[in-house]
Amino acid sequence: MLRDIIKKEILETITSPKFVFTFLLCVILILLSVYTGINNYTSELHEYNTAVALNKRNLDSQSDFGALLSMGTKINKPPQVLSSIISGIQEAVGRRATVTTSIDPNLIDSKYNSNPVFAIFGELDLTFIIKIVLSLFAILFTYDAIVGEKERGTLKLTLSNSIPRDRLILGKAIGGFISLMMPLIIPLLLGLILLVIYPNILLTGDDWIRIGLIFLMFLLYISVFFTLSLFVSARTSRSSSSLLILLFIWVTFVTVIPKAAVMVAARISPIPSVHEINAEKEEFQKEEQAKLLPEMTKWQQEHTFQGDPGNQEQIAAYQKELTDYIAEIQIEFNSKVEEHNALIDEGYHAKRLKQQMLALNFSRISPASALMIGAMSLGKTGIEEHERFLNSIRSYKPIYSEWATNKAMKSLDFTKIAEGKMPEIDISDMPEHNFKPESLRNSFARVLPDFFIMIGFIIVFFVGAYVSFLRYDIR
Amino acid sequence: MLEAKNLTKRYDDGLLALDNLNLEVKEGEIFCLFGANGAGKTTAINLFLNFIPPTEGTALINGIDVTKEPLKSKRYISFVSENVMLYDNFTAFQNLDYFAKLAGKRLLSKKDYRRALQKVGLEESAYTMRTKNYSKGMRQKLGIAILMIKDAPNIILDEPTAGLDPKAAAEFLDLLLEFKESGKAIFMSTHDILRAKYIADRIGFLKQGKLVMLRTQSELEGEDLSKLYLHYMHEHGEVN
Repeated sequence: MLRDIIKKEILETITSPKFVFTFLLCVILILLSVYTGINNYTSELHEYNTAVALNKRNLDSQSDFGALLSMGTKINKPPQVLSSIISGIQEAVGRRATVTTSIDPNLIDSKYNSNPVFAIFGELDLTFIIKIVLSLFAILFTYDAIVGEKERGTLKLTLSNSIPRDRLILGKAIGGFISLMMPLIIPLLLGLILLVIYPNILLTGDDWIRIGLIFLMFLLYISVFFTLSLFVSARTSRSSSSLLILLFIWVTFVTVIPKAAVMVAARISPIPSVHEINAEKEEFQKEEQAKLLPEMTKWQQEHTFQGDPGNQEQIAAYQKELTDYIAEIQIEFNSKVEEHNALIDEGYHAKRLKQQMLALNFSRISPASALMIGAMSLGKTGIEEHERFLNSIRSYKPIYSEWATNKAMKSLDFTKIAEGKMPEIDISDMPEHNFKPESLRNSFARVLPDFFIMIGFIIVFFVGAYVSFLRYDIR
Repeated sequence: MLEAKNLTKRYDDGLLALDNLNLEVKEGEIFCLFGANGAGKTTAINLFLNFIPPTEGTALINGIDVTKEPLKSKRYISFVSENVMLYDNFTAFQNLDYFAKLAGKRLLSKKDYRRALQKVGLEESAYTMRTKNYSKGMRQKLGIAILMIKDAPNIILDEPTAGLDPKAAAEFLDLLLEFKESGKAIFMSTHDILRAKYIADRIGFLKQGKLVMLRTQSELEGEDLSKLYLHYMHEHGEVN
């Protein structure tokens, strides 16, 4: 009997015009999204490779290490292959950071920055389609699952037979779920085929597991709205009321809670503005610079050249002593400023991280946020990956600064400069910036709460629907 | 056999929808229940089908208490409502097949469904048509076919001839007489006095949840049922 009910539910749904419409729309949207995602990824990969080569050429072409020191090096964020399905926040946060000895590095030159039209319309990635379109479809498919049958009178006719209500609701839930999954799973599989056959997309075993987990998350998210709709449908006596309630909940889940969470987090854990941070840094730097000049004057007074002005060897020795002294105080100054700035930045980043975590955790009470956070973490395009990349640049900054300052100081050869011979620049020993994306194990551990949140919602809503239907007034 | 023993229903808002109903519908008998809208006819049907629990009393189907053993009791009953509601995207065959399976008739073939549809007089071209395109008469015929397929010994009909054209109503009543001949107990709520007089073995008038008149066909011989109905509906009275 359960099989008959499931079969009937599937047949009833797939023969309806709304199914045909939904299926076609899902195929078009999902394939379009994967196709544009792949194209974006390949063009970003090309841009990345070009930018890396250009940076190397720029560094090589510098006349001296002093110029290199002031220009700094550019670190480009490598695009993630899974960004072809989950674009995440990477379009908004920037792709390039300039590492110099003074400024705290930050990612700039985002896609939205270079072309603001993308910011207006956003990306058509899979998360967006699932979060907005498919969740709405889940509601439209299910809002009248129980109440609609009551209104049409078929529920009475059905229950005039010896069918246990629990079996009927179970059959309706399974059948409805299978019908709803068809417009999702089939286009997703087609999208995967597209990913596989596209020549520039190289997916590792780790990526496939991540894709599997992302798709599982999609299924759970749709199931949340499906069971919610079933629940509301079993609690109302008019399908119009059911739809209205569900749309209200949908808006709350998809837009209100995520935005409210950010506002609440900002109130609970405020952070200073970037301008305040920069002003604090500049003030300290000025103070230190002010101390530097009297020190240098004092040294010069104590170390005046007392040799023979015609003796080149003595002059060279004096110049070396002077160079060493300047290098020493410059390194000391830099490290002092660096240390102080690092402290300020550390405090600022800790506060910002706390605020971000608060906002993310508050917003997780919405399955839509849980989906976004989880899918981005698995796709390595989320806020954590962005923070990890920024941290890797921040860790690289002192390494680079030390190397660049040493090089610049050691290359200060007044004799050669006086002769008009600039020292040749060699960056072969420049330390490399290394970034390793988050391991699958860590990503999975991070998204585990999101899976549990969705499963929790599903259980609560399904039990609610089940119990409500057992007591449902079918008149 | 259908039986109501002191069957009473008072809703949560305090409305007494059915007040101490006592009646029996035996095998091979057609019982027609009349009453104004809100008199309690549908409440009585809902109680027999265990869609609502009684406040007092019991409803029995073939001697089975519908509250205590609802699933067992429903094996012995078929139900057709005023507007036979079907799955609109399904054809007649698909609807029949689904409801046959719900009724536990798993071994029926398309041939059996065709036979049932022929019996109720549904045109062959309608068998594979989606029922959303059906007229009320066609729906009613398909509803009767579903009922025939289940082949339960008791039948409950909720205003089955409402909205049917005279020809369709007459065909429907002929089918009911056939069911009666085959020994089924038929309980029908209706407003259709003229046709009910023609087929009913017994007639009851329900007023504000109370059975105010109960007569057999022979007792109604020579009586103008419409006048009698109006008389009872305008005056208070007990069963007589």
